[in-house]
Amino acid sequence: MLGVIFVKSSNLVYEMEQEVVEAEMVLPSHMKFKKIQMYEKYPKGQPRFRWKHLKQIIPAENYPNYPPDEPNYVNIETPPSTRPCKRICDVTGYEAPYFDPRTKLRYANTEVFKVIRSLPNDYVQRYLALRNAAVVLR
Amino acid sequence: MPFISKIQRQSDYSSFPPDHPIVIDNGASYFRIGWAGESEPRVIFRNIIQRPRHKITGETITVVGDHNPALLKYFDCTRSGPRSAFDGNVVYQFEIMEYILDFAFDRLGADQSQINHPVLITECACNPHQSRTKMAELLFESYGVPSVAFGVDAAFSYKYNQQLGICSNDGLAICSGFNTSHVIPFLNGEPVYEACCRTNIGGYHVTDYLKQLLSLKYPHHMSHLTWEKVEDLKMEHCYIALDYASEVRLFQKGDKKAEEKTRCWQLPWTPAPVEEAPSEEEVARKAALREKQGQRLREMAEAKRINRINDLENEVRDLEMLLQRLRHATTEDDVTLILAKSVHNSKQEVESAFSKATLSLRKAKGEPAESVEKVDSSSSEKYNLISVPDEMLTPDQIKQKRKQIFIKSTSDARQQKKQRQVEEELERERQKKLEEDRRLENPEQYLEELRAKYRDLSEKLEQRKRLKTNPGQTNGNNNNNNNNNNPSGGVGRGERLNSSQRERMRLLTTAAFDRGKGEDTFGTRDEDWQLYKLMSRDNDDDDEDDKLDPYESELARISSRLQEIDPTFVFKSESGPASAEAPRFRPLTKEDFQIVIGVERFRCPEILLNPNWTGVDQAGLDEMAGVSIGRLLLLKVGEGVDEERVTDSILLMGGSCLFPGMSERLEAGIRMVRPCGTRIKILKASDSILDAWRGASAYAAAARFSRQTFSRKDYYEKGEDWLRSYRLRYTV
Repeated sequence: MLGVIFVKSSNLVYEMEQEVVEAEMVLPSHMKFKKIQMYEKYPKGQPRFRWKHLKQIIPAENYPNYPPDEPNYVNIETPPSTRPCKRICDVTGYEAPYFDPRTKLRYANTEVFKVIRSLPNDYVQRYLALRNAAVVLR
Repeated sequence: MPFISKIQRQSDYSSFPPDHPIVIDNGASYFRIGWAGESEPRVIFRNIIQRPRHKITGETITVVGDHNPALLKYFDCTRSGPRSAFDGNVVYQFEIMEYILDFAFDRLGADQSQINHPVLITECACNPHQSRTKMAELLFESYGVPSVAFGVDAAFSYKYNQQLGICSNDGLAICSGFNTSHVIPFLNGEPVYEACCRTNIGGYHVTDYLKQLLSLKYPHHMSHLTWEKVEDLKMEHCYIALDYASEVRLFQKGDKKAEEKTRCWQLPWTPAPVEEAPSEEEVARKAALREKQGQRLREMAEAKRINRINDLENEVRDLEMLLQRLRHATTEDDVTLILAKSVHNSKQEVESAFSKATLSLRKAKGEPAESVEKVDSSSSEKYNLISVPDEMLTPDQIKQKRKQIFIKSTSDARQQKKQRQVEEELERERQKKLEEDRRLENPEQYLEELRAKYRDLSEKLEQRKRLKTNPGQTNGNNNNNNNNNNPSGGVGRGERLNSSQRERMRLLTTAAFDRGKGEDTFGTRDEDWQLYKLMSRDNDDDDEDDKLDPYESELARISSRLQEIDPTFVFKSESGPASAEAPRFRPLTKEDFQIVIGVERFRCPEILLNPNWTGVDQAGLDEMAGVSIGRLLLLKVGEGVDEERVTDSILLMGGSCLFPGMSERLEAGIRMVRPCGTRIKILKASDSILDAWRGASAYAAAARFSRQTFSRKDYYEKGEDWLRSYRLRYTV
């Protein structure tokens, strides 16, 4: 039987196993060095704050309002490659001269063709998802 | 292993004066924090948090970084995976960031009422303003940090290596991180962000690609393929091929070199217990047991038989006595009186019961039943009326006669049938003997003949079966295709039926759509009604199967004969599906628990150079260098910037540049995109992973650092918008 001890934090008392307490893996909710504590900033029971994802942050940055020669998060992105895309077999990684119109997978030879034709559809979709070509249902 | 967490709580926090900066490298994969001027960060941990529920109390707790996974057994992690504050390489979730900073400062030993030290924290190149503001706000307001500086990790790393003399004042930093890869040119020791470029691919994508590929290849071992394990596999085994096409061709050909390059990960596997052959003693014991049981059964049967004989004997005796008494009885009254006591109604009945009882008694005693001749001998009197003409008989006797005729004909038929059977048996015996003679005469030839016959017959049968399932030569091709284990459907209702069923379907449909087409002449001819007979027969193929096919019986005979005399003969039945099913039931072997990594070793990191393989429509690392140099030349046109100034010192950094073969491949790739004869020098950072922190630490320790920071006062006075134009200078 593990000893159960009480961890006292500012506003709540809960018990944890000795091992867990010793490893100090649980982050205390009260930090002495902070001016505003987490539980004050994000009180329990309040609706969660929804943080803007990168997709929403970028339009909010108003980059078009700034001179185009000023570097920003969007215009430093690399353009698409100018080289012809090397096509590889989706299953084996070999060079793929062929394309299966039914599964939309690329394949290297007849053996792979046999394999892809015997794959269940969800596996086909997962292979396609690897190169972001899967059918997405919305 | 380059990644090791360091989460010991530091005890010397109070020994640092308040103006001693704290340096943080806030990388998407690892968080590193330490004191300026030191060579190693004090605390390192994975930049993730988990918020599992405690199983007993139901309390949601926060766990930062990596901990002993064994301790997570007390928590319910099913609803909370590891979460990161990053989206791409930008911090967006500042609640998670705050937990991480809490943990980091706590482990650094902070114990005063606020963090009274300047903080230098890294961010990505061209960090969106919003993210930078939120970070400043967090540091100032929650932690009371006096001043903050933001710098780019790749720049610190480049500067650090420059100080070490590895790279020069001008150059190119190729930094492939966890979520993104950057190429940043440096001129006069300053990064030129105007000419830098970023591709959204990094180590995370490599690991994810490897994990997905392996779990598609080994769906049964999905549980072994955890993120951490796959990350380990990636770091240990992945490499960059100098030329992907030629490398993969090695594997395609099954070259010996490829075999050497294939790695195999043996999963824990315990062989199934081998069944030991029972020892002689065991066999003997079992046989004895069986013998004993048999003996007991035999005894029981014997006792039962004796009982039955006794019963029958008693019955016979009783009946005999009854008969005697009946015989002695003279008057009808006596007879009825005697019969009233018994269950029988007449003397005849008693007699028949008596004969029956004696017969069964004889049978029980194992004596032969009355011979047929006996019946024959009595046949003349049994069928006494048959030969007598009807005219001489009374109606009663005529009835009797008919009965006798019927009985006689049936018994005669039975006799004949028996005779025929005996004859057939003899015939078969004779043929067998003939065959045996032939075999003895020339065994080789005989066997050959038999085999040929077998082959012939089985072929014929096969053909018939095929015809039954899909006749019609016109669409035979198509049907064959469908029969060839076509998994993804395309087999309609019509193709699942055999010929007769299909014919019936045709009849039904024509009947259904025949109405109102001209004059209805149905029924004028008798044959028309045959149609209904055809229609009503549904499972006719089953009927056919019930009848014993002469071909099939012959085939069975030959195959059994072959099995007898030919040891090499293998009986093959329904070869197709049986062989397909077979491997499923074979015992699992060591090989089934191996994860073989061959092509994946260089296919996965290859996505850094060909991001479009994972659907990221951007150029890879080698082309990025070309793009960046192109941008730089365009930017500095007229300033006489020679591209060799940067290509002479290309520094590789970041965790994803650690793959073996990366520098060779990049050199070849960059040579391809730059003019012929350009001097290209690829350099490796002294420590790809920790250099950024070390550079930042050295930078923060210099006297000029305080001029690059901004204070809380600046932040409030100048406003958030000012922070947009804030840019750290690396050379002062």
